[in-house]
Amino acid sequence: MGNLLSYIIFIPLIAAAIVLVLPKKLEHSYKWVTLGASGLTLTLAILTILKFDATKTGAISSESTLQLVEKTEWFRISLGSIGSFSVDYFLGVDGINLSMLLLAAIVLFIGVIASWNLKKKRKGYFSLYLLLSSSVLGCFVALDFFLFYLFFEFMLLPMYFLIGIWGGPRREYAAIKFFLYTLLGSILILIVMIGLYNSVYDPVRTGEMAGYNMSSTSIEQIQALVKSGQIETERLVKSFNMIYMADAMNYIPGSVLDNDVIKTVFGQPARWMAFLALLIGFAIKLPAVPFHTWLPDAHVEAPTPISVVLAGILLKIGGYGLIRTAFIMFPDGAYHYSWMIGFFGMLAIIYGALNALAQKDLKKLIAYSSVSHMGFVLLGLAAFTVEGVTGAVYQMFSHGLISSMLFLIAGVIYDRTHDRLIENYGGLSIQMPKFAVFVGIAFFASLGLPGFSGFIAELMVFLGAFKSSHVIGAIPSWMPIVATLGLVLGAGYYLWTFQRMFLGQFWVKSKEWLPEMEDLNTREYLMLVPLVILIIIFGIFPSLLLNLIENGMGGFIEHITASINP
Amino acid sequence: MMTLLQQGDLSTKLEQIGESLTWLLPEVTLVITLILLICYDLIFKKNKSIGLATISFVGLGFSIFLSALQWNQESQLNLFDGLLHLDKLAIILKILFCTVLAGSLIIAVKANQDRDDFFESSELNTLLLGVLIGSSFMVMSTNLILIYLSIEVVSISSYALTAITRGKKKAEAGLKYLIFGAAASAIMLYGMSWLYGFTGSLDISSETFISGLQSIDIVPLSIAGLLTLAGILFKLGAFPMHIWSPDVYEAAPIPIVNTFSVIPKLAALGVLIRLSLGLNPSTIDWPLWISITAIASMTVGNFSALWQKDIKRMLAYSSIAQAGFLLVGIVANSEAGFESLLFYGMIYGLMNLGAFYLVQLLENKTGSTQFEAFKGKGSEIPYLGILTVIVMISLTGLPPTAGFNAKLFIFSAVYETYQISANPIYMLVLIIGLINTVIALFYYLKLPYFMFLKSNSSQVPLTKYRLSELILGTLLITPLLLLFFRSDWFVDLVNSINFGL
Repeated sequence: MGNLLSYIIFIPLIAAAIVLVLPKKLEHSYKWVTLGASGLTLTLAILTILKFDATKTGAISSESTLQLVEKTEWFRISLGSIGSFSVDYFLGVDGINLSMLLLAAIVLFIGVIASWNLKKKRKGYFSLYLLLSSSVLGCFVALDFFLFYLFFEFMLLPMYFLIGIWGGPRREYAAIKFFLYTLLGSILILIVMIGLYNSVYDPVRTGEMAGYNMSSTSIEQIQALVKSGQIETERLVKSFNMIYMADAMNYIPGSVLDNDVIKTVFGQPARWMAFLALLIGFAIKLPAVPFHTWLPDAHVEAPTPISVVLAGILLKIGGYGLIRTAFIMFPDGAYHYSWMIGFFGMLAIIYGALNALAQKDLKKLIAYSSVSHMGFVLLGLAAFTVEGVTGAVYQMFSHGLISSMLFLIAGVIYDRTHDRLIENYGGLSIQMPKFAVFVGIAFFASLGLPGFSGFIAELMVFLGAFKSSHVIGAIPSWMPIVATLGLVLGAGYYLWTFQRMFLGQFWVKSKEWLPEMEDLNTREYLMLVPLVILIIIFGIFPSLLLNLIENGMGGFIEHITASINP
Repeated sequence: MMTLLQQGDLSTKLEQIGESLTWLLPEVTLVITLILLICYDLIFKKNKSIGLATISFVGLGFSIFLSALQWNQESQLNLFDGLLHLDKLAIILKILFCTVLAGSLIIAVKANQDRDDFFESSELNTLLLGVLIGSSFMVMSTNLILIYLSIEVVSISSYALTAITRGKKKAEAGLKYLIFGAAASAIMLYGMSWLYGFTGSLDISSETFISGLQSIDIVPLSIAGLLTLAGILFKLGAFPMHIWSPDVYEAAPIPIVNTFSVIPKLAALGVLIRLSLGLNPSTIDWPLWISITAIASMTVGNFSALWQKDIKRMLAYSSIAQAGFLLVGIVANSEAGFESLLFYGMIYGLMNLGAFYLVQLLENKTGSTQFEAFKGKGSEIPYLGILTVIVMISLTGLPPTAGFNAKLFIFSAVYETYQISANPIYMLVLIIGLINTVIALFYYLKLPYFMFLKSNSSQVPLTKYRLSELILGTLLITPLLLLFFRSDWFVDLVNSINFGL
């Protein structure tokens, strides 16, 4: 099991190929293949967690901190005056992405159960789902920017078709809107990627090319040689390695993104501009207000399992990307814009909640609550404290589970009546008591009740955000104060919705729906119960996950504060 | 002059010409093929298609083979006393042209025989070979006269190709093309005469030409440069000389459109590379001009393509945008820029070939190239649908297709130039160019969108495709995926070119 992470990426890919070649006679087996592949990746993801040594800490910009590393050269190209650059097949896990990998594996597995009763064009659906799984999982463990970008872009295409073919009435519009918005974000990231790899060199390969024996020469020695000009710029091997990009020493002297000399682009420092481009790129994915408008459309039109994957994992890639690239590579830019990031986080929390309050469609309400909850991720990151960023990652994990559950709940109702308007239901707890219990748990977990994972996450974000103003001065303390209003609003829309739909006398709009209004079936239990258990476990024993996250986050905060201290 | 020419001089001259001719064997082969085609057409009366196709393919194959043999020569050759310039740049483009033309002929074989029979008689084949021969000379010539002549060979063949097939629309497009093209040629010739007047030299790579331009005042030089550029941009189909292309593309049959959209375009870029090398040291802000043209081409092409209802028209506008992307390599104006331009050019040739082949297959069944005709056909022909998606994604420039690498390299080259010069225009090209990809996505996805997302309106099912058609399609599309994962294969090829910078 040396190549654990490769197995995780390639098993869904192979399964997709199997689904494609299986004849139509075996149509009923597609979902079993998919389930098997997702189950296998989930097992391997858990195995990764078990193999991960949480006590091992180190600098975030050093490859020695990573575990389960796989690194082989993919190709190296020499292109005229650009010089040579290398692209690696480079995978690895650390405190930042390990929890995300686990989350992705869990949500993808549950997504397959949610797709169980799908009838329309099953071959296409399950092969696209598996392709999506592969690229999502790959995105979290890829540590080479080129590879990361490949996975990051490649997930758009399956998603486009999954929404566009199996979605609701306005699916075409929602699918293309999703694709165009996120592609715009990716392009901004691509622009920075071009700048980055032209500014960063690979010290190991450069040393080898320059004729040093890399087993006896340290990376620091090579870096010193480059700095002093003894290895000329023409002989450097440029690199896409995200870990090298994190180390300010690996920037080519005199390049546009070099840390030591401030260069400007359109009158602004280039590194700040690069950070801003990455920020917007990933904020579209996150999505942060004001780039969130694609999300409600995509969610409303997407079929239930795709909504689950979208809210549960795809949004997290935005947050993860911010941490992995923007914050780690441009800490100076991050610090400069921390006020703005915090402000937009706060704005998302309030604005998302207010929008959710006004929604008539249950799925749209959940979509806006997602916008609101992802605001906490931005607020936590902007705080620049260990608590804040740990909270941000914890929030991503917790929201991944909770929002998956919320979308499954919306799916349960939609499956029965093909209607999601809140006003069309009343007193459902009488007809569907067990369902009401699950909805209650999900709503309370989402509004941040103690005992559920969301509480821990939001608490840590607030702790970090309040601490920020006197520890490092990244964001003023009125921001978390205003953001607490979001919690109140959250309680407001959830309780109000619960009251309207589940309390009082049983009533549904159309009599035809009555025979359909049965309580949960086994399949639905199978999806909801594991999520409830996980939400409660991570709410009561946060240390299970915090241990994994925190050792990465300590190094992360050290890394970004070290480079911004005057 | 004649009196000065001694007996010995003449014999060395003749020797030189003889030696130069051996280097022209690929072109000689093409000319022989052309003559054979005409003779075959005259001798045989019936069932000519197999013979004509065989002659064409064999001729092209020989030409590719002979060009490939020249690859390993190290030095750059000045043939015919500096009239032609044979280097790796020319060889690589010539091989590409032959390959693309062979691809066009494969599409022609697949074309619906009832509507346009390409092998009924030899005219279409000979004219296509005319385009190829002209283009081959374009990329080899460094002499203003020869540039003009070879562009005219390409143009005249193109006018005829547009108008020769039946239909009123074609006559109209052909006439438009002719008038516009004649004007562009005249303008270019006028500009060239200025350049000659300034320097007294026709050879754009010569020392006299380059140093001669350095002393010329900016205003007349700009006028001359712009006028010359006009003719080249016309062949390139770039803004502002792009207006002819949608009409021509819509009117002409698909194999011809495929030829038009690649061969003359890349040939024009070859000329532009050589012209850039000559104009660089002069006083005019050459990169700025090309930047503006590139940005305008991308934006105009993309926005116009958005509204098209016909696939061929859409691809026509998209080729205007692609011309803009290709120009980015000239903007970068460095070795990396030209190399990535060639890489992009090769990938572009492959992508277009794949795209037009698929469009031809689709047209054969539905009889139309309107998007509406493909509503919901994706579920009937899923395999073809998947191939279409891959090609379109590659044309947009998204991973995992070679189109992404092409864009990545060409914009990296611009970034590299930006890093050296810190001129914001390069950054602007980089940003606007890449943002244009988002616009491009919208229309490139239109065909997959109609095929998969719209529901089928017609009840008539499509007839099945033959296995051979699908295998050929796969063979045309797989390189696009393969070259994403191993783009170093092509890059090493272009990397061995010496641009003399």
